[in-house]
Amino acid sequence: MVNLLTRFRRYAPLLILAPILAGTAIAYAQTFKTQIYDPDTRKWYNYDQNRAMKYYRKHGQTPGDFQRQVVTFRTAEKPGTIIIDGDKHFLYYVLPNFQAIRYGIGVGRDGFGWAGIVEVGRKAEWPTWTPPPEMVARDPNAAKYAGGMPGGPENPLGARAMYLYVGGQDSIYRIHGTHQPWTIGLNISSGCIRMVNDDVIDLYSRVEVGARVIVLMQGAALYKGV
Amino acid sequence: MATRMICKSVVAAGIAGFMATVSNAAEEKIVIGVPAWPSAEVTANIISMTLEDKFGAKPELVQRGTLTILNQVGEDTIQIHPEVWLPNLETAMARLEAADATVHLSPKGVDAAQNICASRETLDQTGVGSVADLSKPEIAAQFDSDGDGKGEIWIGAPSWSSTAIEKVRAHSYGYDQTMTLLEMPEDVAMAAVDVAASLGRPIVFYCYAPHHVFKLHDVVKLEEPAYDAAKWKLADSNEDANWIENSMAATAWDHSHFHVGYSASVKKMPEIAGFLDSISFNADDIVDMSYAVEVERISPEEVARSWIEANSDRIGEWTK
Repeated sequence: MVNLLTRFRRYAPLLILAPILAGTAIAYAQTFKTQIYDPDTRKWYNYDQNRAMKYYRKHGQTPGDFQRQVVTFRTAEKPGTIIIDGDKHFLYYVLPNFQAIRYGIGVGRDGFGWAGIVEVGRKAEWPTWTPPPEMVARDPNAAKYAGGMPGGPENPLGARAMYLYVGGQDSIYRIHGTHQPWTIGLNISSGCIRMVNDDVIDLYSRVEVGARVIVLMQGAALYKGV
Repeated sequence: MATRMICKSVVAAGIAGFMATVSNAAEEKIVIGVPAWPSAEVTANIISMTLEDKFGAKPELVQRGTLTILNQVGEDTIQIHPEVWLPNLETAMARLEAADATVHLSPKGVDAAQNICASRETLDQTGVGSVADLSKPEIAAQFDSDGDGKGEIWIGAPSWSSTAIEKVRAHSYGYDQTMTLLEMPEDVAMAAVDVAASLGRPIVFYCYAPHHVFKLHDVVKLEEPAYDAAKWKLADSNEDANWIENSMAATAWDHSHFHVGYSASVKKMPEIAGFLDSISFNADDIVDMSYAVEVERISPEEVARSWIEANSDRIGEWTK
């Protein structure tokens, strides 16, 4: 029973979030194209950004599980390593003495449909965002920034970015901040690994260029409908 | 006086013989293959340093997949394989032997084990108890992490000889239908075990012992019927396109063990072959090496150097 209660407490925030999305599904099922997958109920839910924003504004923060916290983490990885669990939407920064800082993350709609070991090849504060050509072609707002959007509070990369390299080459993946904190814990919007700005600033201050980043194989894209 | 003369000449002959070996070893090319797991990385370095210190050789270390190393030892383009796992490589050994490409194995192996493991809490959380349970859709679905209704299980790194056999086992038990079989570097799989332990989430994975994961986490082996030779038949993937369907392995692994393997040219250097034949690590040595490399983050070279310093008497025994 104790175990059950512990588990309930551990996942309670996720259980709260799921009905918000599920309720939306019942009311407006035909109008939604975007769905997210809840690994705890193993069901797909329609995603309503307005409701997610309302939830965030009411509580003023991301659900408790996705808030930055130090957790027990027995691992063979050395301190300074990052482990990304796209499935459960957590990023771990390994500390000494079998501890880690756990951050909540959002995963891009392309998800992390791959797993493996990469490294932080470069870091940037208030990074410039350059929309990909296909986004420039379809979205007039993005087209305005075809030459690059300067860093700032409206920039989708948020306050900091860490560029992930594979074999010394820049991959298309980044760990970055967001100006949409209600998307933490979900697989939505374009982008890579998103964190709230406070968290990405905290992580940025700890991570060194060359840090190892392990992306778990369970972090497959859990997104469909776009 | 006569006695002293004889002694002198025996010593002189001994020195001459040793010098001949040294000069032989120094001239012969000795390449040591280094497969991608921590204990083999350390033992490869121990062998290399000892060949250099005691026999004046200048060995070269090269990183390769275990099967590639074995094949190259058969061709004598690599001379030493530090950990030839059996029964994993038996099919490959038989193929090499049939082609007259002999690989000599040291007689003193290390006892090992290969299983499907789970964290202890996984058993209560999911009801899984045996390997056969994984073929039940309702059990397998509890290991689903990508929403396709099938569970996920790591079966080994792509370059490992055991990974192909784990595919056969999954097919024989039937959980290749209920689980997605993941091939990934070991570090990715072990990080997933760390995350599962931290969150208290269920996980199942291929495991082998000796290994540091048993020291790091509370890990248990899933039950399965004892090894039965009649239920193990492994087709050669190099020769049979349908090797998984034409193979069978629906019981536990046979008692596993691993040995140093070496080539025909090394066999012609009796002092070195004698050293390799005498190597005898035990399971504790292997766990300590693996833990030092993976958990304590010490380089395999450094672990090897420390091990040699702490075990000079054993090295002395092996090289005398």
